[in-house]
Amino acid sequence: MKQRRRSFQDPFHVAAPPGAEGWESMYPAYLLFGEELQERDEQKFWFFDQMHNPEPLYPFDLMMPESWLVSLNQYTTRVWNLPTALGIEHRIVNGYLYLSPNVIDDPAMIAEREPVFLERARYYFEHWDEIYATWKQKMEALIAEITELPVPDLPEYEPDELMLDDDRNTAFYDVLDAYGRTLRTADLMWQHHFELLLLGYGAYVTFSDFCKSSLPDIPEQHIAQMVAGIDVLLFKPDAELRRLAKLAVDTGVDGAFAEGRSPEEIDAELEQSDTGRRWLEELEQIKDPWFNMATGDGLYHYYRSWYDDPSIAYASVVGHVRALKAGEQVLRPSDELARERDRLAQGYGALLDEQTRKTFDELLGLSRMVFPYVEEHKFFCDYWFLTRWWNKVREFGALLAKHGFLDDAEDVFQLGRHEVSTALDELLLTWATGGIPLGPSHWPPIVARRKELLARLGDWTPPPALGATPESITDPMSIMLWGITTQRVQEWAHADAGEGRLTGAAASPGVVEGPARVVVGVEEIAAVRDGDVLVCPITSPAWAPIFSNVSAVVTDIGGVMSHAAIVCREYGLPAVVGTGRATAEISTGQTIRVDGTSGVVTILDA
Amino acid sequence: MSESFIRPLAGLRRADADEFGGKSANLGELQAAGIPVPPGFALRAAAFRSFVEEAGLEGTIAAATANAGSRDVGAIGAASKAIGEAMRFAPLPDRVRVELREHYEELARTTHDERPPVAVRSSALGEDSAAASHAGQQESFLWVRGIEEVCDAVRECWVSLYTPQAIGYRARLESETAPAMSVTVQSMVDAEVSGVLFTCNPVSGDPSMVGINASWGLGMAVVSGEVTPDDYLVSKVTGETVRRSVSSKSVEYVPGPAGRGTVRVDVEERRRDQPCLGDEELAELVDVARRIERHFRSHQDVEWAIERGRALPDSVHVLQSRPVTTLPEREQAISESAMSLVMSTFGAKRK
Repeated sequence: MKQRRRSFQDPFHVAAPPGAEGWESMYPAYLLFGEELQERDEQKFWFFDQMHNPEPLYPFDLMMPESWLVSLNQYTTRVWNLPTALGIEHRIVNGYLYLSPNVIDDPAMIAEREPVFLERARYYFEHWDEIYATWKQKMEALIAEITELPVPDLPEYEPDELMLDDDRNTAFYDVLDAYGRTLRTADLMWQHHFELLLLGYGAYVTFSDFCKSSLPDIPEQHIAQMVAGIDVLLFKPDAELRRLAKLAVDTGVDGAFAEGRSPEEIDAELEQSDTGRRWLEELEQIKDPWFNMATGDGLYHYYRSWYDDPSIAYASVVGHVRALKAGEQVLRPSDELARERDRLAQGYGALLDEQTRKTFDELLGLSRMVFPYVEEHKFFCDYWFLTRWWNKVREFGALLAKHGFLDDAEDVFQLGRHEVSTALDELLLTWATGGIPLGPSHWPPIVARRKELLARLGDWTPPPALGATPESITDPMSIMLWGITTQRVQEWAHADAGEGRLTGAAASPGVVEGPARVVVGVEEIAAVRDGDVLVCPITSPAWAPIFSNVSAVVTDIGGVMSHAAIVCREYGLPAVVGTGRATAEISTGQTIRVDGTSGVVTILDA
Repeated sequence: MSESFIRPLAGLRRADADEFGGKSANLGELQAAGIPVPPGFALRAAAFRSFVEEAGLEGTIAAATANAGSRDVGAIGAASKAIGEAMRFAPLPDRVRVELREHYEELARTTHDERPPVAVRSSALGEDSAAASHAGQQESFLWVRGIEEVCDAVRECWVSLYTPQAIGYRARLESETAPAMSVTVQSMVDAEVSGVLFTCNPVSGDPSMVGINASWGLGMAVVSGEVTPDDYLVSKVTGETVRRSVSSKSVEYVPGPAGRGTVRVDVEERRRDQPCLGDEELAELVDVARRIERHFRSHQDVEWAIERGRALPDSVHVLQSRPVTTLPEREQAISESAMSLVMSTFGAKRK
């Protein structure tokens, strides 16, 4: 990446927001901009990773980017040996994550890496389906491991079994072992996550670029539609809820699904009749695995599974029941989608000359081969695994809370993973010695201060980039995974968009005007009303059910291949994604126009 | 000299372009392919040569052009004037006149109109084709009625070979061959709307799009640039109109009094800002565009008209089609395998 004059804000001169002074104490020193590396770091280009961490990082949640970045980076740098890319570095500014790619421009080094990359990548593409089948088994085993992993309590006296059974360990060892294994399973999950991801995205991006070169006017959504799977796992949870909504209507228990009711109230009414109980049994049947969907994108501890928080699932059934009663068809038109997908592929393919057509067909085939993974890995990794993993961490929180180290189990997320390890060490030590721990007086004030800090940091709006403005972006990962392109960076540098007007990627066609509903967290979802335009940092497919209520979607981040963009096309909702600042510029209640065909959002009343 | 000077458009094929011009040959091809082209006939270049010969104009032409050095504007203007006057006073060869009458009357029978209105257009050949287009001298006479008027229009087409621009262009090329021109005579369409279409996006070169410009009345308003036409971009794959920009079209050309010639009139207020094509018309034009493209196996620039008082699809007529030559060079990587393209996404050199 070529560097030019520094034009974004200097990362070494970003002031802490008022009241958030000392935020640095929440994070390890090696992730802060430190003067030892100032000369180097201020010459680099840093972009805000709004896609994964739109909110300030909780100290424990920092484990996610740390773990996935090391995994991504070892794949690019040491496993695949991408010819022109090393890894992506990260730093924290005011609680937010900033990334900077390291590229390779030494021709000798590129030449050395290229054959290794080609050989390994080809092998994976040639054996994709079998590798993916094995991958699913590995993930299911890992999910079982984290689910079943016991976090023992600390007994007053160890039981007799300890003396009689050779396999038993003492609670001290078991707690430390369980904590270590908990951390290790997350690292392993991220290793699995990136095993196939880069190649999968790469195949898709290549097809997309090829289409745009041969067919310069092709709408991005057509490219996605040609590739998208029909029976994608991610659509299954909502498809099941649609089926259950229809069952409720068909068996006459739909009255329970009145607007505004909580899941408990709905359950209570259903419990009162045989048909209602049968419906609940039917719901029970689909929970494993579909209730392992998350209420958000998984990288924060507060995104729970539908098991933990069924409100989204129930709200979805309520919406589908209402649609059914209004005479709408709620079952997913799979046949129609399949026909449309083939019609587009045929239609575009037929316009190309023979040689171009051949490459087009091959790339489309390759994209369709990788697509199930690209779509489904999120269900396995980000939702199913992570919602269970966060719950496991909560068990350690409960243990610490029980012994007075924390006021509440949830406070565990206010400590870094090494701090939790330190607290556990002290708890176990004092439990063993019968001594008096300092933890109960040490940690709670820290937790209280951090809650304050995070609230102050949450009010701050991170700039999209810091440091030097690059002349061009060449790092394939930045382009593929974050959509950070030369053009995007130039737009940031000029910040040209006029007042009341935002542009983004045209992700799903159509034009809608309506009241904006700014939703930055899943807990605000209940406020969404029929006909609202959903404005959010990133549309998570886990929110898919509420898409039955909204009239259009606008996001800060994401490309037309973001999972939510796909969902919007499914639901026929106009969507503009990747506007960069919709949640900052738009307020709830403002009337906005969303043009999903041209990618423009206009605030109609300022 | 047994070969006739005139042949119906329907009988012409690509190979006839040498004698009848590319325009007429293309119209013949289109008709054969079932594309709706108004009936008509074409006058071969030999008719022009016969005219020059019989009227003894060779000397006048040679004398006039001999003085026309490529940069001498005065001499070129004088030569053009001298040749034009001589040609306008010369009678058409009898055989040309007889054949024109024969074919015009045939057109009268098929169109059930005693004096059918026709469009008479020049169709320069070979090098002159470039000269004519370079000089902007694609002569067209519209709403011509009656055999005498047809004969005069044919003569005027021939005269246009010697406009100052055409003479100057040939002089600069130091062309040795005598100029040659064919003429197309085609039944007139009473156009409510007309325009041009490209079988691809003319700007990006995207083959999945049809670009359409349209305005009220005859096509002259669009071709001459007197109005900003409505601009449509329609996907061949989905039929969606992906771009629709409707402009204010303040003037149009319509048939003159008694259906002779053309007049330029103001478009009444309420029609100016109306889109002149609806979804059904666009769909029909896209269909025609696809058929033309399939026939020629290349991208085409097509003039079309929608006839007043008729229903779709019969109201759509194609008046002319020629290959698109100005497509942007697109970055193409088609010679590479899919796999090597994927590898290049990751920074591996393209093999």
